[in-house]
Amino acid sequence: MTPDPLMTVRADLHVHTALSPCGDDEMSPPAIVDAALAAGLDVIAVCDHNAAGNTGAVGEAAGSRLTVISGIEITTAEEVHVVGLFPTVMAAANAADEVRETLPVADDDYTRFFGEQYLMSADGTIYGREPRALALATSLGLDEAVELIRRYGGLVIAAHIDRPTFGVIAQLGFFPYEAGFDAVELSRHVPAGSATTDGYAAYGLPVVHSSDSHYLEDVGCVATEFGLAAPTFRELVLAVKHREGRVLADA
Amino acid sequence: MKLESIARELDLTNLTPTLAGAATAEVTAGYASDLLSDVLANAPEGGVLVTLQVHLNVVAVASHAELSAVIFTSGRAPDPEIVAKAMAEGLHLYATDADTFETVGRLFALGVKSGRDA
Repeated sequence: MTPDPLMTVRADLHVHTALSPCGDDEMSPPAIVDAALAAGLDVIAVCDHNAAGNTGAVGEAAGSRLTVISGIEITTAEEVHVVGLFPTVMAAANAADEVRETLPVADDDYTRFFGEQYLMSADGTIYGREPRALALATSLGLDEAVELIRRYGGLVIAAHIDRPTFGVIAQLGFFPYEAGFDAVELSRHVPAGSATTDGYAAYGLPVVHSSDSHYLEDVGCVATEFGLAAPTFRELVLAVKHREGRVLADA
Repeated sequence: MKLESIARELDLTNLTPTLAGAATAEVTAGYASDLLSDVLANAPEGGVLVTLQVHLNVVAVASHAELSAVIFTSGRAPDPEIVAKAMAEGLHLYATDADTFETVGRLFALGVKSGRDA
């Protein structure tokens, strides 16, 4: 059997929308797609805090121009940020419902302090507001969050592990090998190919570079290059798991 | 002050009652933090850690920092496998319904001070 021909795929696997309270209100589905295309990306993953209500709209806005993966960024009870990437919008939505249930309802004080949580349609119209307080930590322990993401067929990535807040190493002191992460994410503060990246690669997991964008100008400011047969979730999973010759360039 | 005496004074629940040494372990310093990288960097050797973080890594970090005991506050308690790990590491674990602020205040009143002053 001849191997599938591979194409280079640039992916930014951590982008917020206006649904995240800290996400800029300009982070609408069409604006994010335009920013991603302008940055030369082939794939983005939409990962809002503890929710996934805008992922479908971003995918719809993108059409066939850009692959949009539905994700989530869970804040665990330990205040560790964990990115989950899912095979479908529905899987992300169902996972997010379980996550959201653990959070209190946002009141006016919360919204004043943390910001609006807009649900948007593909053309950027605001059609609702997320009622739960997404900025808070869920009651899910790290192990429970990993299990939840897995249960919906997701890929589990330790978010911005180089950061002093909400990264798994800052919160837990040592990298928790037993937690079952599929990959680790480095922030824009760690350049690809640097000695620092090599240090984090020593955990033995694939390393992705993601923007964690909360503002349009940051979308694609860093990215991960993959060698895939097609820009799909399934192909990304193969690359992360080093299967069928798929490549994750910076790992 | 001896660890056993501290536990009695603060009415702590002993999560590792079969672990020997609490009667003889002398504790003079303590640290309070839920950020384990901070504990790793700053907690005093031989000291007691006051935290509400109950992840398994508390045990790994406390062992590495050579702490003598951990007090879990606000009614939080670690899973049994974490207690077993602490037993294997010779780390004493306690729990209390009191919050961190009150627990630290009472430790301070007993003469357990910051590692910087010890």
